Amino acid sequence: MTLLFVILIPLLGALIPPLVIRSGRNACAAATGSVTLLALALLMSHAPAVFSGEVPKAGVEWVPALGLSLSVFADGLGFFFAAMILAIGLLVIVYARFYLSREEPMGRFFAYLLLFQGAMVGVVLSDNIIALLVFWELTSLTSFLLIGFWTKRADARQGARMALVVTGGGGLALIAGLLLVAQAAGSYQLTEILVRGEMVRASPLYLPALLLVLVGAFTKSAQFPFHFWLPHAMAAPTPVSAYLHSATMVKAGVFLLARLWPVLAGTDPWFLIVAPVGLATMLLGAVIALFKDDLKAVLAYSTVSHLGLMTMLLGFGTPMAAVAAVFHIINHATFKAALFMVTGTLALLASASMAGVPLFNGFLSKEMMLEEAAHTAYLGLDFLFPVLASVAAVFSVAYSARFAIGTFLGPVRHDYPHHPHDPPLGLWLPVAVLVVPVIAIGLFPAAVAGPLVALTASAVIGGPLPDYHLALWHGLTPALFMSLLAFAGGAALILAFRRVDGVRARLPPLDAKAMFEAASGGLVVACRRIVAALHDGALSRYMGVTVATLVAVGGYGFWSATHAAGARPLLPVTAPALTAFLALVLASGAVLLFHGERLTALILTGVVGVVVALAFLQFSAPDLALTQISVDVVTTILMLLALNLLPKTTPREGSRAVRWRDGAIAGLAGLGAAGLAYAVMTRNGTSISDFYLAQSKPGGGGTNVVNVILVDFRGYDTFAEIIVLGIAALAIYALLDPALKGAAVRRIKAMLPRDEAKDAHPLILVVATRVLLPLSLVVGAYIFLRGHNAPGGGFIAGLVVAIALIMQYIASGYGWAAERMKLDAQSLIGAGVAIAGLTGLAAFAFGRPFLTSTFGYLHWPLVGEFELASAMAFDLGVFLTVVGVMVLSLAQLSRVAHRVDPSPESRAPMDVPLEGAASGAAGKED
Amino acid sequence: MYPFLEALVAALILIGAFFLLVGALGLARLPDMMRRLHGPTKATTLGIGALLIASMVYFAAVRGSFSIHELLITLFLFLTAPVSAHMLAKAHILRARAERDRLPATGTATGWATLDSGHPKGE
Repeated sequence: MTLLFVILIPLLGALIPPLVIRSGRNACAAATGSVTLLALALLMSHAPAVFSGEVPKAGVEWVPALGLSLSVFADGLGFFFAAMILAIGLLVIVYARFYLSREEPMGRFFAYLLLFQGAMVGVVLSDNIIALLVFWELTSLTSFLLIGFWTKRADARQGARMALVVTGGGGLALIAGLLLVAQAAGSYQLTEILVRGEMVRASPLYLPALLLVLVGAFTKSAQFPFHFWLPHAMAAPTPVSAYLHSATMVKAGVFLLARLWPVLAGTDPWFLIVAPVGLATMLLGAVIALFKDDLKAVLAYSTVSHLGLMTMLLGFGTPMAAVAAVFHIINHATFKAALFMVTGTLALLASASMAGVPLFNGFLSKEMMLEEAAHTAYLGLDFLFPVLASVAAVFSVAYSARFAIGTFLGPVRHDYPHHPHDPPLGLWLPVAVLVVPVIAIGLFPAAVAGPLVALTASAVIGGPLPDYHLALWHGLTPALFMSLLAFAGGAALILAFRRVDGVRARLPPLDAKAMFEAASGGLVVACRRIVAALHDGALSRYMGVTVATLVAVGGYGFWSATHAAGARPLLPVTAPALTAFLALVLASGAVLLFHGERLTALILTGVVGVVVALAFLQFSAPDLALTQISVDVVTTILMLLALNLLPKTTPREGSRAVRWRDGAIAGLAGLGAAGLAYAVMTRNGTSISDFYLAQSKPGGGGTNVVNVILVDFRGYDTFAEIIVLGIAALAIYALLDPALKGAAVRRIKAMLPRDEAKDAHPLILVVATRVLLPLSLVVGAYIFLRGHNAPGGGFIAGLVVAIALIMQYIASGYGWAAERMKLDAQSLIGAGVAIAGLTGLAAFAFGRPFLTSTFGYLHWPLVGEFELASAMAFDLGVFLTVVGVMVLSLAQLSRVAHRVDPSPESRAPMDVPLEGAASGAAGKED
Repeated sequence: MYPFLEALVAALILIGAFFLLVGALGLARLPDMMRRLHGPTKATTLGIGALLIASMVYFAAVRGSFSIHELLITLFLFLTAPVSAHMLAKAHILRARAERDRLPATGTATGWATLDSGHPKGE
């Protein structure tokens, strides 16, 4: 289980730095360091097992039905990467403590860093590929935060956005790719997929899966043509660059290629795609790096180049090349991290390693790369890889030399804005720690790195290791001559740098950033056009598109299947049913005729609502009838308040042809819905309702099936619905807010009638609503309590109480009522959702799944036997949410009207004071 | 069922039907809005109330189950009918400008509440 904590500790530990920063920057850095150290120690406790060939595993089930589990495993590859991420992370934390200035928010920085670290460790240790994908996207998101840490700098923001778009977009492709791999292998567990390589490669899904996975890996590891984001991510603080580009972020793509090497590698498509992409990246990165004058840019492009090298080696698909790739990952991590935290002479050593100078570790892996390249033929061209790899080596020697000479061996300058000084211990110590392996591996490769390389490489290959020797001297091999050639060529390039640079300056410049901005800008414009065409703000168009789609899909479904008339006989037509039907038809037809007059249309829709409620009653659904009536009342009040802010009539819109088209769509949809209803009602099909009817009492403890379904059987739906309801109310609140100020107020004001009633809050209305308030509240409580067994429940009770409260607003005005409403609607919504959620969570305490309900019977004196169900607490949540939602939206609407017409609001409950009462004190008596 | 109760229910139904008819006729036949308002608010309310009481008596006598639902409905009708009548009348006074001049005097310093806030100008 401790392996799981290696991931969880940094993720959860991210909470610590923002809290500890109050105790000072040292404490903050120490706390962050201890978190990483703890994770590293836990990981290292598995080291003996891993080195002896075991694969430690841990995990918990998450959603077993979907094959989703949070499981981890540490084979050689995962263990090595996790150790590298945590160890270099520790050094970066030390370095960042001294790098960040006093003004910068260090707590936030370390929180981001730990989150990123946790996500990275999650990527390399995950066994379940879904979990891996989640962590993968998490690294994109957290690196976005890290790269854009200096939020005030435009280049940081742009770089962060570019990195997110490229790596996040690649992540989407990777999701598809890995799901296809899982489909082909028949498992979501990496440990199982890795041994089913044959199966995957033989599957028809192999090629699409490979292409998608490669897009994900190439974007993350900045491979050509996605290499452009990496240099722009250099706008990040230096510790972030050091971390992202040496050990973590960009290595994730290479890691993925290595991880899936046993599954995907060894085929023609793999070699034909991966190897040349790696080669192109290596060459391109090295060439661009030579001509960059900015130190960080040189390092960025050299990183691109080295990533290309690793990709190319993995692309060769031979075990020997895989070993070389692993060896170079180790070496690159050490010297690149040191170079980013560049300080003094130590970095000279690191850059020598980057150039591939003998006695440093970079030499060894580069030698192995050249050896592999030397006998690789691409499409029958046996000179392509050796020549181009040598050219890349030439440039890499040249830029390393230029980097070293330019920084450390050049003439002393005196025109710096600040006097350069020797860095404090904290800045050069991490570099020193990193340079030790650079030299140690360079001198004694087999002794120092041998076991690690063997362990990691065997995990990558997934089979027996090839015969290889990590040594300085391999004899007079082709690689040695290529190396010598590279040094000679590099030296020549440096000597002739001015002339070469002159040639380069004459070539047309290629600005990847401008191209990216142009491409993304074009995409945004194209999207805007589509959105503007589909969503032009006209409700009739939205409805038209939606309904036309429904008609088309429904029509296709109807005509592509066989169907017969239903067997169930029709019910006799009774006089009341006919009357209700005619009322419904007349009201609907009248809406069509009078829809221009909004008030008339509203009254007519009210008729429709009442007839529907009567139909519910007729077919023994009193619950639905009650709900329909109360919803109808609330919506009518809502619409009346809204109409107050709108013109009195709807203008005629659209040409005759448009109206005919809309009419045709609506008519077809109506006929389809009628046919559907007819088909359903003339059949005796069995449905799930039989189950609900049978289980309502024994399973849910209530005889009101509708309510038991709402709060128990389908409690999950209801829970989500009240959340949606709450969000909708908050959206109404926010959307109406602009109507309170500026031009909107003036526009609404112009529409309002000049003549307003003076006595807007008459005595008779005030007294009636005040008398009805306690009565309505009692009715609400009654409906709520009986809801489980008789028509009622939290939803209807909420509507009843909301109507009673809204009546107070109408009777005495917004100001007066709001002053007396002690609970604000937002808290009611929050409390409702929280209570419903907590009721669901309470089931966990008894070891049951979310929202499991329970019930029992109590005997109360006087009241008699009384049922107490946990669903009642859930229903209370529904009730509170409904009250809050209704009061919030209606109060906001009336607030708009109130704000538009700021006539002096009376302090009294009504406008005309009662005789004998002092006009100012009338309000206080109530 | 006792003949007396039967007679009572029948009488209530007839009274209710009569007032409903009167209310409906008034709504249809009276000349102006203010007078038409009396039909649905006064006569009809009374008629519906009588019908509801009849229903209550009938079910108490036949089914033996006494319920006050009908009484409550009547009560609420008596409570809401005057309120809606009042609001309708106010809206009419506000909208029908021609009729404002024909309103009788209130007999106090302030005019009709809908038109006169009761405060001196400028407050």
